Amino acid sequence: MKKIFSNIKHWSSAWYGTFSEELRNIFNDSGVLIVFFVAGLGYPLLFGLIFKNGTIDDMPIAVVDNSHSLAGREFSRTLDATPEISAKYHCANMEEAQSLMRQRKVHGIVMIPEDFGDCLARGGQAHISTYADMSSFLYYKNLTMGTNMAMLHEMHRHSGLPQPVRYEANLPYNRNLSYTIFFIAAVLPIVIQQTMFYGVSMLSGTMREENRNMNTSLSGRGAAYWLLYMGIGTYTLSLVPEILGLPQNCGFGSIFVLLLFYVTACVAFSFTFSSMIRHRETVFILFLFMSPICLFLTGFSWPTSSFPEFWKIFSYIFPSTFATRAFININSAGAGLGLAVPQLTALAVQTIAYYILSNLLLLRTARSKTPALCPGLESGS
Amino acid sequence: MDFIKNIKASMCREIRLIRQRPVCLIAALGTMTFCMVFFLTFLKDGVPGELPIGIVDCDNSSLSRNLTRQIDATQLGKTIRFNDYAQAREALQTGKINAVCVIPDMLYDDVLSGRQPTITFYVNTMYYIGGALAYKDLLTMMNLSAGGVQRELLKAKGMDEEAIMGRIQPIVIDAHYIGNAMTDYRAYLTGTLIPGFLEMTVILVTVFALGSELKYGTSRTFLENAGGSMTAAITGKLIPYTILFTIIGIICDTILYRHAGFPMEGYLCNLYLGTFVMILACEAMAVFLTGAMPVLRTALCISALYSILAFTLAGFTFPVEALPPYIQGLSTIFPFRHFYLMLVQETVFGSGFEGWYPQLVSMAAFMLLPAVTHKRLYKACELQNFPKN
Repeated sequence: MKKIFSNIKHWSSAWYGTFSEELRNIFNDSGVLIVFFVAGLGYPLLFGLIFKNGTIDDMPIAVVDNSHSLAGREFSRTLDATPEISAKYHCANMEEAQSLMRQRKVHGIVMIPEDFGDCLARGGQAHISTYADMSSFLYYKNLTMGTNMAMLHEMHRHSGLPQPVRYEANLPYNRNLSYTIFFIAAVLPIVIQQTMFYGVSMLSGTMREENRNMNTSLSGRGAAYWLLYMGIGTYTLSLVPEILGLPQNCGFGSIFVLLLFYVTACVAFSFTFSSMIRHRETVFILFLFMSPICLFLTGFSWPTSSFPEFWKIFSYIFPSTFATRAFININSAGAGLGLAVPQLTALAVQTIAYYILSNLLLLRTARSKTPALCPGLESGS
Repeated sequence: MDFIKNIKASMCREIRLIRQRPVCLIAALGTMTFCMVFFLTFLKDGVPGELPIGIVDCDNSSLSRNLTRQIDATQLGKTIRFNDYAQAREALQTGKINAVCVIPDMLYDDVLSGRQPTITFYVNTMYYIGGALAYKDLLTMMNLSAGGVQRELLKAKGMDEEAIMGRIQPIVIDAHYIGNAMTDYRAYLTGTLIPGFLEMTVILVTVFALGSELKYGTSRTFLENAGGSMTAAITGKLIPYTILFTIIGIICDTILYRHAGFPMEGYLCNLYLGTFVMILACEAMAVFLTGAMPVLRTALCISALYSILAFTLAGFTFPVEALPPYIQGLSTIFPFRHFYLMLVQETVFGSGFEGWYPQLVSMAAFMLLPAVTHKRLYKACELQNFPKN
C-alpha cells in the first residue's frame, strides 16, 4: 500500500515538473506568445472589426430606361427604395452603363426595354434585363434580391389577382443574411485549433533542435496548453461574441462543456501532428495553408450535403470540423447541448485516438536519433 | 560587371542550398498542389444541388403532396418529410437540413374556398451558401405554385395563354451574369483563392529562406559570397525562387483558365504578367519584413498573421467598399488585393492594359519596400547581433 502511495507521489511530482516546465517554455518564447496571444486573442476581434457591417446596403447600380414611360420610372424608383440597391446612375444607353461597370462605379445594370410601358398597359408580359457583376457573389445576391423584390412589388400592383396561397419566410438565426454573423461564428473555433497547433509545433520543433528530452509525460505537457487554452477559449467563444454583439443563444455552461471536449481534442491533435515538425519555424511554411482549408471543411459555406465523399472523410481528421458545427448550432441556432452529442462524441473519439497515436509517435522518435539541425547550412557554402 | 558576377555567385550558392535542404521546395510545391487539388475537387459541382429541405405536411392533401414533389423536382432541393415540427426544428438547428417548409392543416380546403392559407418556411442561414440557395429555391417555388393556381383559375374563365401570363407575371426578369454565366462557385472561389495561397507561400518561403541565414549564422558567408553587396546577395538568392514561383503560378493559371475552363474575358498572358509582378511584390514584402524583424521566428510569425489577413481583406468574398472606412485603407498593404482587382478587370471585363495598369503600378511599388530596411538588414547580416532563437 505504501509503495503505491509513493509511486503516485513520484508520478505526480514528475507530472507537475513537466507541467510547470512547459508553461515556463511557453512564456519564455516570444514566437509562441505572438501566436497564442496576438493571434489567439487579437484575430477574433480584428475579424469582428473588419466585418462590422455584415451586409452591403445600397449597392450602386446603373439604370438604362429605354421606355421613358411612367411605369419604367416607377420601377426604377421601387428599385432605389430597396435596401439592397441604389439606382445611382441613370444612363442614356447600354454603352454608358457598361463603361461605368468597367470603372467599377456600379456593380449591376438594370435595362428597361422600349416596350415596357406598352406591354404593361395592354396586359402582356414585360421583360427586364439585369446584368450582375460577378466579381463578388454578394453583388449578384444584392442585385437579384433587389430586382426580385421590386418585381414582386410591381407585380402585385399590376396583376390585381388575389394570392391563392400566401407565404411567410423566416430566417431565424441570421435574419438579414449578415456576413458577420455567419463568418465570425465559424472562424472563432478555427482560431483556437490553429493557433494551438502552430504554438505546440514551434515548441516541439525547438525541443528537437535543442535535442532536449522529449520522453516526458505527454499529459503533463498537454495540461499546460489545456489550462492556457481553456482561458483563451472562454475568451474566444464566450467573451468575443459578447464584445462584438453577435447572437448568443445559449448559456456559458454549454460553451464551457463544448470547450472541455474541444480543447482536449485540440491538445491531442496538436501533439500528434507536431511530431512531423523537425524544426521550429517550418510549421508555418508547411502548414499555414491548412487554416483556410479547415474553415471550408467545417461546411460553413459550401454545404456538407455537397461535399465529395473523400473530403467528408478527410474533414474528420480535424477537431475544428465538429467543434465549429457544434458551436454554430449551440450558440447561433440555440440548439442546446443535447443536440450536440454527436459532435461531442466525435471530439471524444478524436481525443482518445490522437492520445494513443501521439504516444506511439513519441516512442518512435525517442528510439530514432534526432536529425542534425540543418545539414544544408552547416556543410554548405 | 562585378555586380552580375556577385549575383551569379549568390544564385549558385542558393541552388546548392535548395538541393541540400529542400524544405522550401517541398513547401511551395506541396502547398500549391494540395490547394489546387482541394479546390478543384471539393467544389467540383460548381453549384450545390439537392439541398436537404424539410417538409412538415399537416394537410396531407393532393395539393400539399404536389407542392412537395415540385420542390423535390428542382435542381436545388431535395425534400425530407418530418412528422412534426419539433423534429424538423431540431434538424434545422443542427444544420442537417437547410430549410423547413410548414404546410398548414386545411391547405387545400382553404385554397378552394379562397381563404388564402399561409405556408411558413424557416431557413438556417448560418450555413451560408446552402441557406441562401434554399431560401431562393423556396421563394421561387412559392411564387410559381401561386401562379399555377391562378393560371388554372384564369384558364377556366376562358382567357388565352398570353393574357394569362400577363396577369400572373406582368414583369419577367432576364438575368445576365457578367463574368460567370453559370454562377459557378468553383470558378469564383478557386480563381481567387489560388493566387491568395500563392501569395502566402511566396512570402513565407522567402522570409524563411532569408531568415535562415540569420538564424544559422551563415549570413556573413552569404554576404561575402556576393562580394559584400547586400543587393546582389538578395537578388541572387531570390532568382531561383522567383523562377520556381513563376512556373508554379503560370501552371496554376493555365490549369484554371485553360483546362478547368474558368471564364476568361481577356488574355491569359496578361494574367501571367500579373502573377509574375505579384510574386515580385510579395518577395519584396518578405525582404522588408525580414529586414524589419531580423529574427526568423518573429518574422515568420508576423508574416503568417499578415498573409492570412490578405484573404479577408482582398475583398472577393466581402467587398472592400462595404468595410468600415478605417479598414478599407488597410487592404492596400496586401499585394494580393491589387492582384485581385487586376484579375477582375482581366477575367470579368477583359479590359486589358488600360483597365489594370494602376494595379500593376501598385504592385510594382511594393518593390521599393526593401530599400527601407536595407541598412538594418545589412547590419544584422554583418554583425549577427540579433537573437537566433
